[in-house]
Amino acid sequence: MKELLTPKKLIVKIATALALLAVVMVVCSLIGSQKTSYGIFVHVRLPRVILACIVGAALACAGVVFQSLLRNPLADPYILGISSGAGLGAIIAVISGVNWTLWGRSPIAVFAFAGALGTVWLVWFIGRLAGKSHVTGLLLAGVVVNAFFSAVIMFLTSIAKSDQVYSTIFWLMGNMTEEDFFVLWFGVGCVAAGMLALFYISPQLNALSFGEDDARSMGVNIAGTRIIAFAIAAAITAVAVSLSGLIGFVGLIIPHGVRLVFGPDHRQLLPLSGIVGAIFLVAADTLARIIVAPAQLPVGVVTAIVGGPFFLVLLVKYSRRIGWLGK
Amino acid sequence: MSIIEVNNLCFGYGDVEVLSNLTFEVEQGSFLTIVGPNGAGKSTLLNLLCKSLRARSGTIRIYASPIESYSSEALAGKVAVVRQESVPIFGFTVIETVMMARTLYYNQIGFESKNDRQIVNDALEATDTAQFALRPLAQLSGGERQRVFIARALAQDTDILLLDEPTSFLDLKYQVDIYDLLKTVQLEKDKTIVAVTHDINLAAQYCDKILLLGGSRAENSYLFGNTQDVFCEEQIEKAFGVNTFVGKVGQEKFFLPLGKFAKDSRKNSLNPDDTRRT
Repeated sequence: MKELLTPKKLIVKIATALALLAVVMVVCSLIGSQKTSYGIFVHVRLPRVILACIVGAALACAGVVFQSLLRNPLADPYILGISSGAGLGAIIAVISGVNWTLWGRSPIAVFAFAGALGTVWLVWFIGRLAGKSHVTGLLLAGVVVNAFFSAVIMFLTSIAKSDQVYSTIFWLMGNMTEEDFFVLWFGVGCVAAGMLALFYISPQLNALSFGEDDARSMGVNIAGTRIIAFAIAAAITAVAVSLSGLIGFVGLIIPHGVRLVFGPDHRQLLPLSGIVGAIFLVAADTLARIIVAPAQLPVGVVTAIVGGPFFLVLLVKYSRRIGWLGK
Repeated sequence: MSIIEVNNLCFGYGDVEVLSNLTFEVEQGSFLTIVGPNGAGKSTLLNLLCKSLRARSGTIRIYASPIESYSSEALAGKVAVVRQESVPIFGFTVIETVMMARTLYYNQIGFESKNDRQIVNDALEATDTAQFALRPLAQLSGGERQRVFIARALAQDTDILLLDEPTSFLDLKYQVDIYDLLKTVQLEKDKTIVAVTHDINLAAQYCDKILLLGGSRAENSYLFGNTQDVFCEEQIEKAFGVNTFVGKVGQEKFFLPLGKFAKDSRKNSLNPDDTRRT
């Protein structure tokens, strides 16, 4: 049965992808308008590339988890209100005027992190109240909370007279500047640990793709798997958001792209999505940095403009072959 | 030996009582079908037997232990379930789908052993699905897909198979194919099979015991027994509330519902021998 995934095949694929990631990281660090000195390489470019890796990997993995747990191909890491929660947290930080720092992090990032996790917890809580059809309840709760918090953000933005509010909104739209190596390695640790834990439960996620009842009758601990997967996906998304704001599209198209090419088996879908997400965001961020140099584009613009057509090519090329999306 | 024992089982949704005081048992290696009108609680009963639902009162025992005492892992080692139409949203292949039945037995890093592969191969062979093992589930016909899900249930390597309307949406040939397959599995592998079905004729042909639910909804009555005892004109008409023609092919009875516009609705006016010509 050579057609089944084996540990050997998986290791080869992951190693290849990691090697590719390393090459992309180095190349992207060297690209730039001015000649790249050692100082710029180590203190400006490298941190930025590492940050893009963390965020890309986190968003892509979280996207995989949300799509399979919610059994919805439109799900992305922000679907359960993480984006609006983070935004609300950031705005509150600015308006309340706190100016302490936590491990060198600005209050904006800390509040965004707390807002993101708090919102996911709220949505989870409301979803549980909605009863047994947990998935639909969760999705609806996510949509409603997202809309409500977005309205609150607009309201606060309108009444606040601070210019800072606008800079916050700009920050939320995605930024890739982080020079503190401690924070970066902390982020790497969080995301890597999250990915490992997700890999550990990936056979259960496979079974859950067939729905709750089927998975249960195959002996999967539904409640445990679900809580662990949601908690990890929400946590790594919150880490990503508090490091770099909201970067759209990565968490939606990378999982689909990897799934189209390599199939839906989570044991390889999760690690490969993480690595491909990292490669994609490093490349996109480099483009955002050089296209209109010396100015910079928000990286979200590049992910959508480059990622969209690329994804459509994949979709057309592979979808017929593998009978995508069920029936 | 009774492998499943159900005693005074009651269940309801909200104020509506669906099953009340149901008592029956299933012998090891036998084939039981659960029949009855829509809403009689057939699928509900199946869900109770695999612990997807909890009974209000009464007991279900599997191998003489109450079903509540089984963890979902332990129960998955005893009972496999084939549900109606469970297609995942993403395109798993046939072999990946069948291999998922072994999830419980994967090693530490989440991969199957040689033994698991052998079991899956056997399941594919038994259900005649090995030929399209590499195709995505979504590309198969309804009958092929149903066989894949039966293969997955077999790969779980349990003594008990529960099936929820395994032949709905299938054409005549596939219906017979599926029941032939189930009967073969029952006889050759000594599996105990419990199937919910709407097709009383197939049930009569293949199974050993019948549970006819909801003879009259007010009383929540039920009938349990051998096929010949349960399936008679009076019981079928009472349960389903429809005029029924009963014919005979050899020793086997068959039932034909007669509607208002049936070509000849004078009940039993046909000589049973007439039907032999076909």
